[in-house]
Amino acid sequence: MKLFLREQRPVIMIYFVQLIVVTFVYWLDGYRNVAVSLYAVLLSSCLLTGYLVFRYMTHRSFYRRLEQPVASIGDFTDVKPESPLSEALHRLLKLQYRHYLSELNEHTEKIESHIQFINQWVHQMKTPISVIHLMIQQESDPRSMAIADELDRLRKGLDMVLYTARLDLFEHDLYVETLALEKVVRRATSTQKRLFIRGKVFPVLHMEQQLSIVSDEKWLDFVLTQLISNAVRYTTKENGKLYFRANQEGGRTILEIEDEGIGIPGSDLPRVFDAYFTGENGRKFQESTGMGMYLAKEICHKLGHEIELESIEGKGTVVRILF
Amino acid sequence: MFKIFIVEDDPGLVKLLEAYLHKFDYDTFAVTDFDSIKIQFQQFAPHLVLLDVNLPKYDGYYWCRQIRNLSTCPILFLSARDGKMDQVMALENGADDYITKPFDYDIVLAKINSQLRRAYGTYAAAPADRPVDVYGLHLDRERFCLRLDETKIELSHTEMKIMDELMMKVEQVVSRDRLLEKIWDDQVFVDDNTLNVYITRVRKKLSTLGIEDALQTVRGQGYRLVPSWGERR
Repeated sequence: MKLFLREQRPVIMIYFVQLIVVTFVYWLDGYRNVAVSLYAVLLSSCLLTGYLVFRYMTHRSFYRRLEQPVASIGDFTDVKPESPLSEALHRLLKLQYRHYLSELNEHTEKIESHIQFINQWVHQMKTPISVIHLMIQQESDPRSMAIADELDRLRKGLDMVLYTARLDLFEHDLYVETLALEKVVRRATSTQKRLFIRGKVFPVLHMEQQLSIVSDEKWLDFVLTQLISNAVRYTTKENGKLYFRANQEGGRTILEIEDEGIGIPGSDLPRVFDAYFTGENGRKFQESTGMGMYLAKEICHKLGHEIELESIEGKGTVVRILF
Repeated sequence: MFKIFIVEDDPGLVKLLEAYLHKFDYDTFAVTDFDSIKIQFQQFAPHLVLLDVNLPKYDGYYWCRQIRNLSTCPILFLSARDGKMDQVMALENGADDYITKPFDYDIVLAKINSQLRRAYGTYAAAPADRPVDVYGLHLDRERFCLRLDETKIELSHTEMKIMDELMMKVEQVVSRDRLLEKIWDDQVFVDDNTLNVYITRVRKKLSTLGIEDALQTVRGQGYRLVPSWGERR
């Protein structure tokens, strides 16, 4: 209604100006019967009002549409146009929408094929990694050990790529089952043994036996690996410990991972879960993508777990996963 | 001699696998022509198949079904795909187990052995379980014991692993990190100090066999087993 009145304002104004001009002309001509001219005003005003009402009635839905914000992009398609103007607009919008859709489809396809390419590429890279891994497995000279460490890093990097690409298709790649928490943690620490030994950090488990959780083992393992590699990387002290504790509180199983590392500055704390956020520690230590904690949070969220982080600079960090 | 049929399109990986399996007295055949896998399978008539998932033309699942039409021999998948669904697919297509790349030699060998034992009932000493013998010092990995001449002592699981590594690399330096890696498993996490304790224990056990100064510390590098007992014989 407001938009309609604003739109019609020039017409109304011209009508009044014209009314005054015509009355004035008659007045100058010597015709000075006020009653008749008032009658003429009334009559023509009625006509104007009639015109405005008619116009509003026919364009009501059109104006209403213009005034209301659109909820989603395909929202307008079910409206029936009633006047030539609204029909023209409708056609234009539809055409634009079609162009937009086809462009959007093109992009989605591109992204999907890109993700597929990345997936394939990562898997292809795993074969050369296996070959190198086999080649150095039985050697124990310092060079082979160094190659093994680099290989571990490569592998972790590839996993990160794979999991980031997969995150969008999470629902297709989910296998939820009941898991024994202790077993999951032990497996994760065992696969990371090289990292632990090289970092001179050792895990300590304090877990209540037989705590079971419902989760997807692979995604959870990725999260744990992420947390472990962060903890080891940021523990500079020799023979530091990484504590794993699990207990049940208020019906929820809580896994706590506490390190004795350098901790996170308070100013960085609120943003540790942001994508691409590396913070002060990330700048001090090499090879921080800022994606690890972001992915951990996203994955936990999708699995229906909560993840919390507490840290005191110089003392250590505690990460808690609430199942 | 067991025959193993390898279907994997990466020649480097095949070469390493074959070399390793030959060490343990397995006969292998690696497919190079991926058009006639079925015919080659029939000609070689293997006891076990190692099968990759990503192959030229048809994938491993397809070949697994084809092989299943011919034979019930154990089929082990080797794949870079580590999704649960991939494993389920493999098992549903008739595979017996699934190994993800990159893998350890130990795991491949252990899985091959276990499948062969299951399929052919040979619980007699599988190749990997043969005792290690260094200058008359025997390590029996199955029974966890160490024997020199007529004297025999028992070892704990961890001590056995330390001795195993040292005896395999006799006279070479084995780094502390390497030993830690070896003895670390799902149940025992060993830190630096604990390793010292284990080394002391191993030395003590060796001395009850009359072996002194055989396990030497190489400063800053690790440990070395010198066969000091060998000269006396």
